[in-house]
Amino acid sequence: MSITRVANVAIDDGTHRDARVRRRIDSVGTWGFAAPILAVFLILFLIPLARSVYFSFTDYTGYSTDVNFVGFSNYARIFSDTSLISSLSFTLLFAVATTVLVTVAAIPLALVLNRAFAGRNLVRSVYFFPAVPSAAILGLVWGFILNPLGSGALNTMLRSVFGVGPVPWLADSHLAQASVIAVSLWSQTGWHAVLYLAYLQAIPAEYFEVARIDGASRSQQLRFITLPLLAPAMTVSWLLLMTGGLKVYDLPFTLTGGGPGFATRTLTQSIIQSGIARGDYGTASALAVLFLLAVGGVVLVQLRFSRRMEGRFS
Amino acid sequence: MMLSYQLPTRRGRLAAIATAGALAVSLAACSSPSSDAGATSGGSTTSDSAKPTTVSFLSWENEETMRPIIDAFEAAHPNITVEFSWAPPVAEYIQTLQTRLSAGTAADVFIITAENRTDLMDSGLVTDLSDQPFMSNIADAAKVPYTQDGKVYGMAISSWGGGILYNEDLLSQVGFTGPVQSWAEFMDLCQKLKDAGIAPFLEAIDSVPVTLDALVGGVNASMGGTMDAAIFSGASSFADTWTAPLTLFQELVDKGYLDRSAAALSGDQVMQEFEAGRVAMISTGSWTPGGIHTAAPDLRFKFMAVPGATTGDTYWVGAVSPGLAINAKTTHLDAALTFLDFIQSKTAVEMYNKETGSITTTKDFTPVVDASLSDLADGVRAGDFYLPMSSWERDQDALLTEATALIQQLVQGSISAADVAAGMDKKLASLG
Repeated sequence: MSITRVANVAIDDGTHRDARVRRRIDSVGTWGFAAPILAVFLILFLIPLARSVYFSFTDYTGYSTDVNFVGFSNYARIFSDTSLISSLSFTLLFAVATTVLVTVAAIPLALVLNRAFAGRNLVRSVYFFPAVPSAAILGLVWGFILNPLGSGALNTMLRSVFGVGPVPWLADSHLAQASVIAVSLWSQTGWHAVLYLAYLQAIPAEYFEVARIDGASRSQQLRFITLPLLAPAMTVSWLLLMTGGLKVYDLPFTLTGGGPGFATRTLTQSIIQSGIARGDYGTASALAVLFLLAVGGVVLVQLRFSRRMEGRFS
Repeated sequence: MMLSYQLPTRRGRLAAIATAGALAVSLAACSSPSSDAGATSGGSTTSDSAKPTTVSFLSWENEETMRPIIDAFEAAHPNITVEFSWAPPVAEYIQTLQTRLSAGTAADVFIITAENRTDLMDSGLVTDLSDQPFMSNIADAAKVPYTQDGKVYGMAISSWGGGILYNEDLLSQVGFTGPVQSWAEFMDLCQKLKDAGIAPFLEAIDSVPVTLDALVGGVNASMGGTMDAAIFSGASSFADTWTAPLTLFQELVDKGYLDRSAAALSGDQVMQEFEAGRVAMISTGSWTPGGIHTAAPDLRFKFMAVPGATTGDTYWVGAVSPGLAINAKTTHLDAALTFLDFIQSKTAVEMYNKETGSITTTKDFTPVVDASLSDLADGVRAGDFYLPMSSWERDQDALLTEATALIQQLVQGSISAADVAAGMDKKLASLG
């Protein structure tokens, strides 16, 4: 080997060594920053999930240390329990209905809040406010308003103004379900409108200017510029609404207690009551595992649909 | 020279180190239920009466209520300090206790109640109190719910009762002269009130309603108190025993005496209607008079028993109140026993009665109760009451939840009395 070549190899070695050292330092830094969140993910999610899967195949009560393997009997019990089937159906209804209705309400609200008018900031605050109190408090307050007796707040107003009622808002199964969905719609629309508003404000004004020059009407601008560019916001909003809707617990529980009958009972309520109140951790764990799989499946499908929509409009 | 690119292996090793480190932390923090029994089993064999010691107590009554009693105990036993904590009843308390029992950090003394007694006794988590001298002062009826295989595991110093609470002024408008003695008489009273434009009756269906509890209690009494044992053994069923009481209860709804909106009401909402004078009668329990006097000082009211189908066949609803139990794994057994001994003493029971207005049932003290409770208190102290959940031998919460949902549907008018009873049989069968 010639000296030049040796020198070149030596120089290459040095250069590559520096690059390797830099990459090592970068990796250590990356993993160093990731380790805490990995630990949190492991401790607060993976390990509890593994324990839940384990308990779902046992007769663990939460009290006794004598734990026995029972195979798939906990899973079989779930599918034969009418109250669990009922809670599944309402949970799905709630998740889909709130996702659709909040989207339909939040986008026009965001368009209005994006315009300039006197008191705009105050109006934005007013619409955002329902998202601030906890859902449990909202349930208690709306339970007072929607009291099905004639002396209930809303029924009193209906009787005095329109001479109708009393309406069994929370005593009729369908009305109770509609009431829970309506309160959720009222509490979440403002928050999601603000999310859409943020994306609206990121749309360059020049797009609309060019469209106006080209003779596009307001509805055409909305259809061909605004809505397509809001697709990423819809992805985020729908993901939050769907996951939040599937795991809802506090609002229906405080507003109706899951009744009348099992009309407004949710899957989360069933899991908590099975596991804690009844000391049936085995069945509750099985329900939680199935719930995780179902929610994961729904979210994956929804994300795929949203990404395809975004890709179509981008 | 080989210029091998070794970074992927090093990256994998770094990833393994980070993950292993996180795993080591998590494994050190986590433990299986079987290894949570950190406290030594049994109690301290040395006397706690001489050296300073503590006894931890997880109550479900707040500190404001219990503080005078705890202060009195600590004054009487200066060497024992009570570490007080509480969680509100019922579901939150049971969840808190269950979590701490699983973790091995439960208090020395805690509440045993209808909802958790079976699990606590079956799992050997509570200490046998049968042979303790102070248990001789506990009413025999108060020991029954917390007894298993002849051993008593809970000490209850009070019981509660419930029935029909009526507004004396509203009822006097329709010629009411005294407690009704039959269901037909009760229906007749409700019709008179309805004709007078007064809402006759209201009760919350957020659990099995009091009227139905009492009607079923009458059936149990007619079977010599063996109804629930027969149901759970398969010798009888809910269909055989509950259908008749449910049919009577349905009459209240079908004739418009109980508004169908009751299916969605809470006890607080029903009480507000009563306090506002908008309804003549409600069903409630012995804990309510104090609140009513505060909210409606001018309201005159009284309790009466729920009448059955047969004249003279009246029944109260009620149950032994939650008792105190000692953690089987306590290391302060003597101090815990001393604490329970004090709680059942005349001094403490008198304080508890004054603080809460409860109907105490210990043998050496006659409680002072609100005037409206005079008849009810006599019945409760005599053990003359029934509550399904206290009599069911297992799966109390699951059956109660199912029963409540079915009765709500009955009140809505979507199912019949026979459907409710059949539904409860189906649920019991599924709980196997």
